[in-house]
Amino acid sequence: MQDASPPPGHDLQYEHAALGLSDAQVLAALRGMIVARTVDDRLWLLSRQGKAHFVITSAGHEATQFGCAWAVQIGRDYVVPYYRDMALVLALGQTPRDIFLHALGKAEDPASGGRQMFGHFNSRALRIVSGSSSVGSHPLHAVGLAWAFRITKETDLAAMTFFGEGATSEGAWHEAMTIAGIHQLPVVFVCENNQYAISVPQAREVPVPDVATKAAGYGMPGMVVDGNDLFAVYAAAQAALARARAGGGPTLLECKTYRLRPHSNADDDRKYRRVEEVDAWRARDPITRLERYALHSELIDPAGLADIRTAVVAEVDVAIAEAERAPNPAIESLLHHLYGE
Amino acid sequence: MAIMTYRQALNDTLGEELARDSNVVLMGEEIGKFQGSYRITEGLQSEFGKHRVVDTPIAEEGFVGLAVGAAMLGMRPIVEIMTINFILVAIDQIVNHASKIHYMFGGQVRVPLVIRTPSGGVGQLAATHSQSFENWFAYCPGLKVVAPATPYDVKGLMRSAVRDDDPVIFIESLALYDTKGEVPRDEDYTLPIGVAEVKRAGTDVTVVSYSRMTVVALQVAQNLAQEGISVEVVDLRSLRPLDRTTIIESVKKTNRAVVLEEDWYSYGIGAEIAATIQEGAFDYLDAPVLRVAGVEVPLPYAAKLSQASKPGAPDLIRAIKRVLEGGKQWPK
Ligand SMILES: Cc1ncc(C[n+]2csc(CCOP(=O)(O)OP(=O)(O)O)c2C)c(N)n1
Ligand SMILES: [Mg+2]
Repeated sequence: MQDASPPPGHDLQYEHAALGLSDAQVLAALRGMIVARTVDDRLWLLSRQGKAHFVITSAGHEATQFGCAWAVQIGRDYVVPYYRDMALVLALGQTPRDIFLHALGKAEDPASGGRQMFGHFNSRALRIVSGSSSVGSHPLHAVGLAWAFRITKETDLAAMTFFGEGATSEGAWHEAMTIAGIHQLPVVFVCENNQYAISVPQAREVPVPDVATKAAGYGMPGMVVDGNDLFAVYAAAQAALARARAGGGPTLLECKTYRLRPHSNADDDRKYRRVEEVDAWRARDPITRLERYALHSELIDPAGLADIRTAVVAEVDVAIAEAERAPNPAIESLLHHLYGE
Repeated sequence: MAIMTYRQALNDTLGEELARDSNVVLMGEEIGKFQGSYRITEGLQSEFGKHRVVDTPIAEEGFVGLAVGAAMLGMRPIVEIMTINFILVAIDQIVNHASKIHYMFGGQVRVPLVIRTPSGGVGQLAATHSQSFENWFAYCPGLKVVAPATPYDVKGLMRSAVRDDDPVIFIESLALYDTKGEVPRDEDYTLPIGVAEVKRAGTDVTVVSYSRMTVVALQVAQNLAQEGISVEVVDLRSLRPLDRTTIIESVKKTNRAVVLEEDWYSYGIGAEIAATIQEGAFDYLDAPVLRVAGVEVPLPYAAKLSQASKPGAPDLIRAIKRVLEGGKQWPK
């Protein structure tokens, strides 16, 4: 429950004005993060109702994903996300309705027309590129896109790709880093380090405390930021993307965060995470921290926040209702898109 | 006999083999603390410790290659690949290394490795979580490939696989993990790799299948018996080596055959079975051999599309009735 009076102070690294962000931008991001969390809540409900077969969460990762999205030139830079990035694609311009259409496998699902399981986001217009479920394999595509810019002669753009710390054990990830480093390609590799690969803790999946230190071996800088601090993520992502676009080469940006829900609806995180640990991270919930900042900076008051939350619930209700009513893909369309027609 | 699930038969046998031979080690993603994505390794890490039941990083090529190396030193690794879809990342280690080492080193080094993984689809897990790739491995000389359909066969084949000195790919089925059946209590019970079983005797038509599709075939056989159709079900159990004799002998008796397989139609296991039948029982056939297989599409997520893509009992019944009608019209 939100306390009625604003708590003293905040714990974000920067003041937004110092980063050139307007009050309105901060409030829009706050609202967006609340939308993302609400959509996430409702996805789990749809799963429990047996309507969405597979659900995977972005809860807890919102500051990382919104901070990076702020730095992206939407529709110009390419984004190659992974299954954790629902909040990211909302921040990039997909709507709650799009998300529910995707989760329910509807014909109008903008990711795939009901082909792909949830979490494989895709939008040609927004330059969001879908991957397969094979962990750690998609950063190669970001490298390929960035490599192709040299031939398409598109300039002043970059590719940004996202993955978990567990994915950095896969061979394909190392090959992506190697090629990007050799050619100094305009790619920003964003590691959303939530400290677990499903049940396996970081110490058993990554041999170093900071994934970012891996960057040195591939000829690129590595940066570590507090992934639950929207402004810290934005500042780092902005710097990395600007460098990439200007021909300065790739960066590995590690955002330390935590997933606040089980890995997916097939998981039970109580089997491997202590309640106290989860609670400690709940206290560092990126949305709560941004709310505290907004209250402290008098961008909004408690009543204003309550209004946002009410409006968001109504908006999400409408989105679900629309998505549920939408038609399923027709059986006759089964073989569409297997090859070019 | 004890009654247990397919999952329990796996879990028991892995535990027994760990206890029997200190060279047996388990490795894979989520198999220790989490006790397996599908709870196959439940209780094993607490019983045998972190050095014998090893949680690996998400590096399939890495830990399969590691297991190949360790096997060369006499370890008997049993590697779990979370689902067969992710084995593709490790295929170089399996096909270019594990399958060839004994031969290419002139018989000086053995690779007593087991890779166990569920194949096929269950629920709506879509294209990259539902594939069947056992034929990729069955194609490769130097590997052995088994695919049990019952808890009974799981126990016998897993014991044989672990004790075998060659690399064995052990194909499981997500949809079978909760199915129950009898399992011998006899400590010496094993099943030979490379031997099929007639799981139901019949006279009108032979259905050849393996793993989950054998269970479907047995159900169909039971239902069709009420209509007076007598179906013989040959369960392959092993895909390599393939027990051609059992298949051919069955078809010589029934004169008709249908293959039921969960993989894609073209170049699937059924193609090999059909070829085997025409080579070995051509003069006995009263109808072409039919294949019932998956629609050739990356399995879609949407429920109806997904169902329409997977082979099932109604497809098998249709195929059986067609071969029984004789050889008049044979589009596809
Ligand atoms: C090649 C491959 N191996 C295994 C899996 C199963 N799997 C899916 S997600 C996951 C954990 C990934 O952890 P991490 O990269 O840290 O990302 P997070 O889920 O924590 O965001 C695993 C092992 C997979 N999808 N692909
Ligand atoms: Mg992780």
